[in-house]
Amino acid sequence: MNIEANSTSIELHRQLRKLTERTLSPVARYTHVMLLLVAAAVGIVVAALLLTEPALPLRTRAAFGVMCLIAASWVAYACWVLLRRRPLLQAHRVVAGYLSTVFSGLFAGAAMAAGIATGAPAAWFAGALGVVMFALAVMLLVRARRNYSELQARRDELVRALAGD
Amino acid sequence: MQQGLEPTTENPADELLAIRCQLGERDAFDELIERYADRLRGFVRRVANSESEADDLVQDTWLRVLRGLPGLRDPARLRAWVFSIAHRVIVDRLRSRYAGPAEASVDALVDETDLQADHLKRDQIERGLAALAPPEREAMVLFYLEQMPQAEIAGVLAVPLGTVKSRLHRARVQIRAVLQAHETPDHKGDLH
Repeated sequence: MNIEANSTSIELHRQLRKLTERTLSPVARYTHVMLLLVAAAVGIVVAALLLTEPALPLRTRAAFGVMCLIAASWVAYACWVLLRRRPLLQAHRVVAGYLSTVFSGLFAGAAMAAGIATGAPAAWFAGALGVVMFALAVMLLVRARRNYSELQARRDELVRALAGD
Repeated sequence: MQQGLEPTTENPADELLAIRCQLGERDAFDELIERYADRLRGFVRRVANSESEADDLVQDTWLRVLRGLPGLRDPARLRAWVFSIAHRVIVDRLRSRYAGPAEASVDALVDETDLQADHLKRDQIERGLAALAPPEREAMVLFYLEQMPQAEIAGVLAVPLGTVKSRLHRARVQIRAVLQAHETPDHKGDLH
């Protein structure tokens, strides 16, 4: 009976470890972070063209509108996955914060450079939205680092308290 | 169970473990499995009264625990949080079996000292559990086998404290009846 209970327990632990491994896989998380950033960047560029080029033919405008919707859907999907299916633990949030900051910084810089070089309103518009994206990314990074430090401090405090027991 | 002692609902070891998981330390998840997997399995197996469904229910619970951990605001209440998720999984899965007649709180009829003085033993509870409805089974398993204070049980089951008391009271009456029906002379001295 005990042998049977032990093997049931070992098998359950094995299954839960596998489930944990699969659910917390960092690769899948960062893939979704990148998907979110790329979809947001593509959406911004297409929206900038759509809003700043009034001379576009109707069919092109319709196509750009559909592309904006597709990009928004990918953004929503990536957010849903990161919030519900594969939530980011604090260490992952810090890495995701750095990824977002670097990516959105590069995007904003490139769009601004294009605006300076060509003077195209679409590039300036994309650059402005890129700056907003960059500001949000910095805000998320600062918050993630602060939360991480707070948890780490509490962790160390508890380790000391439990060691003193 | 240490009758009369109300264990604290805040456990520094649990808080540390939850924080390590939130920080993303992988070995903390192994510890979480070591600490909770068998207890959760025991809980869902007894409440669902099904050996075959237990592993599936635990895995479902575990998935929700992993997904909810980053948002856990009070890591010190890890145990109550984990069991409250298991409770919701059981309710979702066994909705038809779980639904029973609306229960009135009989708080006024339940004497606290009566609960504390009840000397039901572990094996007696195990034998009587099958005769109880799932809500009573849950309260009994958490109180007697998981040694959870009643206030914590109320949080886990999301019911008022009075309802927990009334479920425990009802469960004990039913278990006593079941045990008395099958009583052997050896067990007579344990029943009150």
